[in-house]
Amino acid sequence: MSARRSSGRQSNSENYMDYSLLFIVIFLLGFGLVMVYSTSSYEANLNFDGDSAWYLRKQLTATILGIIAMFVVANIPYHFWERFAALGYIVSVILILLIIPFGHEANGAKRWLYIGGISLQPAEAAKLGMILFLASMICSMGKSIRTRKGFYTVLAVPVPIALMLWKITSNMSSAIIVMGIAVLMLFVSCPDYKRFIIWGLVVIAGAALLVFAIVQMSQSDAENMGFRFARILAWLDPEAYASGKGFQTLQGLYAIGSGGILGKGLGASMQKLGFIPEAQNDMIFSIICEELGLFGAIAVILMFIMLIWRFMIVANNAPDLFGALLVVGVLGHIAIQVILNIAVVTNTIPNTGISLPFISYGGTSVVFLLTEIGLVLSVAKGIRLKDL
Amino acid sequence: MKEAEHTHKTYHRNKTVAVMFICLLLFMGLIARLVYLMVFQSEYYTQKAKELHERERTIKAARGRIIDANGEVIADNKTVCTISVIHNQIEDADRVTEVLSKELGLSEEYVRKRVDKYSSIEKIKSNVDKSVGDIIRAYELAGVKVDEDYKRYYPYESLASKVLGFTGGDNQGIIGLEVKYEEYLQGRAGTILTVTDAKGVEVAKAGEERIEPVNGDDLYISMDMNIQSYATQLALQTMETKQADSVSFIVMNPRNGELMAMVNVPEFDLNNPYTLPDGVNAEGLSEEKKQELLNGMWRNGCINDTYEPGSTFKIVTATAALEEGVVTVNDNFNCPGYVMVGDRRIRCHKIAGHGAENFVEATMNSCNPVFVTIGLRLGVDNYYKYFKKFGLLDKTGIDLPGEAGTIMHKKENIGQVELATISFGQSFQITPIQLAVTAASVVNGGNRVTPHFGVRVVSSDSGESRSFTYKVRKNVVSKETSETMRYILEQVVENGGGKKAYIEGRRIGGKTATSQTLPRGSGKYIASFLGFYPADDPEVLALCIINNPQGVYYGGQIAAPVVKELFENILPYLENMDYNK
Repeated sequence: MSARRSSGRQSNSENYMDYSLLFIVIFLLGFGLVMVYSTSSYEANLNFDGDSAWYLRKQLTATILGIIAMFVVANIPYHFWERFAALGYIVSVILILLIIPFGHEANGAKRWLYIGGISLQPAEAAKLGMILFLASMICSMGKSIRTRKGFYTVLAVPVPIALMLWKITSNMSSAIIVMGIAVLMLFVSCPDYKRFIIWGLVVIAGAALLVFAIVQMSQSDAENMGFRFARILAWLDPEAYASGKGFQTLQGLYAIGSGGILGKGLGASMQKLGFIPEAQNDMIFSIICEELGLFGAIAVILMFIMLIWRFMIVANNAPDLFGALLVVGVLGHIAIQVILNIAVVTNTIPNTGISLPFISYGGTSVVFLLTEIGLVLSVAKGIRLKDL
Repeated sequence: MKEAEHTHKTYHRNKTVAVMFICLLLFMGLIARLVYLMVFQSEYYTQKAKELHERERTIKAARGRIIDANGEVIADNKTVCTISVIHNQIEDADRVTEVLSKELGLSEEYVRKRVDKYSSIEKIKSNVDKSVGDIIRAYELAGVKVDEDYKRYYPYESLASKVLGFTGGDNQGIIGLEVKYEEYLQGRAGTILTVTDAKGVEVAKAGEERIEPVNGDDLYISMDMNIQSYATQLALQTMETKQADSVSFIVMNPRNGELMAMVNVPEFDLNNPYTLPDGVNAEGLSEEKKQELLNGMWRNGCINDTYEPGSTFKIVTATAALEEGVVTVNDNFNCPGYVMVGDRRIRCHKIAGHGAENFVEATMNSCNPVFVTIGLRLGVDNYYKYFKKFGLLDKTGIDLPGEAGTIMHKKENIGQVELATISFGQSFQITPIQLAVTAASVVNGGNRVTPHFGVRVVSSDSGESRSFTYKVRKNVVSKETSETMRYILEQVVENGGGKKAYIEGRRIGGKTATSQTLPRGSGKYIASFLGFYPADDPEVLALCIINNPQGVYYGGQIAAPVVKELFENILPYLENMDYNK
């Protein structure tokens, strides 16, 4: 670090801004706002007495707040946050625990906290906290991460948070994302491949075995198993569970399938007219497919690929490991969420509530995502131009 | 330190690139999945989604009209409107409330409640006159829907109610010709396909697909409303003066079975078929009981009910006996006022007896002992043969629903006593229409015709006409016997028991009947008369049945004059119309 400070390019590197990254994010935000309005206006019109922009306004407020947070964070050297790593972890735990007495319930799940008039999803805060804590921890571990003990220590760190998210907020998808972020950061910081490949195969085989077992059991004890594992069974045959667990999935597939190659045109979705409940949330990608067709869907995916590609560039040129790991964490967070969301919407995996970053309606999510982008931009600022 | 960091960075860079490629791989997989769903499965899901979004609204087809022999429309359609509001499309609730309450004559609160109700579509009023509907439509109020609909309308109200029948809520026939000719009259409903949201609210911008309805065919029937109207008046008059329970009239063309009138008083108002007759208190009655009363009111006695025909049936006995040669016109008989059948003594209605009489005179006198004698001469086998030949054991095949069958002894159960009673029309039951058709086939030269109203249907769209044909069984009775019977029956009217039906200068044939209803000894009678004109080549045949008259109950006394009066009025009319030429 001292070497870089003395270099002649210091002034350049201080002012470096990853505009490509910034542009992609702003494009996604703008596109997201358009889609939030498109998907929510009909229901908002019915539910809020003709105020069709109700959701749009709330999302816009959160987005502006997020952009401010992003620029603030981008202009603070990222090492500033290292000292709060442990605190972040503890705050995450406390926020989640606060849900037990003070949680606000919506759609049958307690996931929100109201603090001073603003609602907050502790799960979103926990993801950022986890990225910060693990980046800091891995840096301080040094080479000991290569040991078996180091490996499992890193893996154990997110487990309490993940378990709490799953059990307290019944938010399994956030738990999966927190674990996924940890695994990805561990993967990048650890030179080993073999162990990851083995574990990966074990997890895939285990999942396959579980699904097979559930299908077998549901055939012998249809009532009991059918109830407990309806989500899995509905995934395999959504039309058989059309009025229950398969409803949302099936409605999403109608939207996607009826979009065709070119789509019905922006704003012309039929499925958003109450067929897909709260289409502006997790199922927003299906409406993108319906309105903009395969081309629109692929364009959105390409934007995310470009975003991840920018993350990779920034991570691989980060001035130090801490910065790189922060970016990898953010990359993991966004990549996992995008992939899982699209996989759920297309019924590639069983249904679980995951929002599409920057596009789905959700204030907490967009604020924290933009804060994370701020971190990435801050790391990017430290890049020496000759490294690019 | 710098070296260490460098090596550290090399593998973590590689790993980040690896993560990037894993992500890329997964994205490729998802894109493949999207291509599968949006290209190869697109048609399937588009169809599914379409089924989900489209609602079908039917456009009713106008039901075919029913038109009488003179081209008078006797069952028509009235266009009525249904006014409804769609909550989400209303822009100015105050104005909608004001206009609708003013135009429809409803209270503001009533309309307001419906305008403010949060539902997909709320009906304000149905069966609104088309003129009012047009006025409301002209306001062009957003959220107000005026749907046109057809309602069956019967300009002659109660006339021929039990024959025509009426239609139900879906414009489907309930009874009578409306049911029988349903397939022609109903037409084919059209549809409007509209696109709706999940709550069923129509999406305005989506437009609609329309399949036009095909209107029903017009049904032309042989009924002549002038004759029907006159026969109904006569029947009502008779019912009143004789204080009878009911009076039925059948007027038909014996040559081809076309029915010109069929009356069953009391009739009911076809425009209000669910209103029970005056004097019936429907309050406090169970639904079942009420329906029973309605069914009773709608019942067409001429075809749905059977009765003991009595002496009019002697026409059949005489015809069979003449055909079989067991009697001739000049055969002489002696009536002592009774006849012994086995150990049973069957009395003549003239207790003193008719004394010496030939067969024609016996028929004129309607002498029971003579008919018992010739019935016994025929024997069970022969009698049964003619029953079958006439088709008396089958239904007539009239084009009205619910025709009742004949109630007759089984052949093996007919002993001498049964045979004797059958000979003068007792101990079995047939419908009035069965009697009329059987008599028609005796006097028309021997051809068994199928009684009917339906003549042809005419497509209201293309004007294409389709005539119905009906079965005729030729030579059921020989021409000679038919001629003899016409002669005998003319004698009955000229000099015998039917002389009250005689009209100066007209050749009328006929037969009277007076039958006691079951149980015997109840003091209830059915008086009837069957007449035809002209006696030598009948063009019109009429059967009048008076159910439970008070006072004089002889058919010759009370039913024959009614037929006479009918003939006096309709014969000039028919000649004028050149009706049967």
